[in-house]
Amino acid sequence: MFVMSEIEHTLRLPPHLLNRPLNAAIKGELESLFLDKVIDKLGLCVSVYDILSIDGGFIFPGDGASTYTARFRLVMFRPYVGEVISARLKESTKDGLRLSLGFFDDIYVPVPLMPNPYHTEPDPEHKNGTRWVWEYMGENYPIDWADEIRFRVHTVNYPPLPVEQGKDSEQKDSEEKDSRQKDLKPFAPMVITGSLDADGLGPTAWWV
Amino acid sequence: MKILQSNAGVLTNCEVLELLKSRGAGKDPTRVIAAVAPSEFKVYDYLEQTVAFKQTIEIIHKFVEDCKKYDLANGEMLNVVNIRPSSAVEIDPIIQDCDSRMGDRIDEFLENVVQVLPPYPSQLESNEDTAEDKEETTDDQQTGVK
Repeated sequence: MFVMSEIEHTLRLPPHLLNRPLNAAIKGELESLFLDKVIDKLGLCVSVYDILSIDGGFIFPGDGASTYTARFRLVMFRPYVGEVISARLKESTKDGLRLSLGFFDDIYVPVPLMPNPYHTEPDPEHKNGTRWVWEYMGENYPIDWADEIRFRVHTVNYPPLPVEQGKDSEQKDSEEKDSRQKDLKPFAPMVITGSLDADGLGPTAWWV
Repeated sequence: MKILQSNAGVLTNCEVLELLKSRGAGKDPTRVIAAVAPSEFKVYDYLEQTVAFKQTIEIIHKFVEDCKKYDLANGEMLNVVNIRPSSAVEIDPIIQDCDSRMGDRIDEFLENVVQVLPPYPSQLESNEDTAEDKEETTDDQQTGVK
C-alpha cells in the first residue's frame, strides 16, 4: 500500500522560521507543502520519511527569505493494481459502493465489479441508500455497515483538475450549472476503483 | 519539484506504523503535543485496526526467509504480510494462479503464515472468550454437584 518516493524540491524558508534548527524548519515546511496532498502518478503523500540533503541557503535580491534545494523521501499511499486491501463501507447506493480507509475515502466499487449474482433492496436505515445482497448457493449474504470489507484494486486514476467554465455563459445557463454543480461530488484528485468479484473478497464475515 | 525516484522502496504497513510510533503517535492521548499531523493520525488509526499492530520488523524478516521456497512475487508477500490470511479462500485473491503454483503446499504455507505472523487482537479475544465460557460452565457444574 505504501511506497517511498524520492523528490527534489526548491523551497523558500520564511524568515520567521530562522530561529529553528535548519532540519526541523525544512521538515515543517515540507510537511505543510506535501502532507495529505496527491501528487500525480505518485499517490497520496502520507508522511515525510527523511531528508537526504539540503543545499543552498541563498538569499535572492529583494527577498527576505532564504531558498534551499532539498532532497527527501516521502511515504506515499499508492496501492498497486491487484492488491487486496481492507476497508470500511462509507456509502451504498444504486451505482455501487463507496469504501473508506479513514485517511482516504475515494474508493468506488461500481456495479459491474460487484459479486455476481446479486440483488439490491432499499436500505431502511439510510435515505436513498441501497443494500446489496449477494446470492450464492441459495443463501443470501448482505453487505452490512459494520463489516470490514476486502476489495482488490482494479485501477488507480488521477483525473485532471477541472477547468473553470462560465466566462462565456449567460445568466440562465449559469443558474443551471450551479444546480448541477451542487449535485456533483467534490473533485477527487485520486480515485481507486475496486473489485469485489472474486473468492475471498467482500466482507470478511462471509469467509471467516 | 523534481521526482528523482518514484519508487525508492516499498513499505509494509508495519514499517509505516513503526515510523509513526517513533514520532510519538501512540503515546499521546491529546494528539496535540506529538510531532504528528492530524492526517498522519488518521493513517495511524487505520493501521492500528489491522494485523500490522502486532507485527515487528524481525517477524517480517523471518516470514520472508521462510517464504523463499514458495517463489512468491514481492507484491504477493507484501500483501500476505499486510492481510494475514488464515484460510485458503482468503489467499486466493492475493496469489495469482494459486492452485497451479502452490497446489498441495497451500496448507503448509498457511501453517507458516498463521504461526509466524501474529493474529489480529480481536481474534485472540474471541478465543479467550470461548475459553472463559468453558471455565464458567465447569465451575457451575462443580457448584451444582456440591
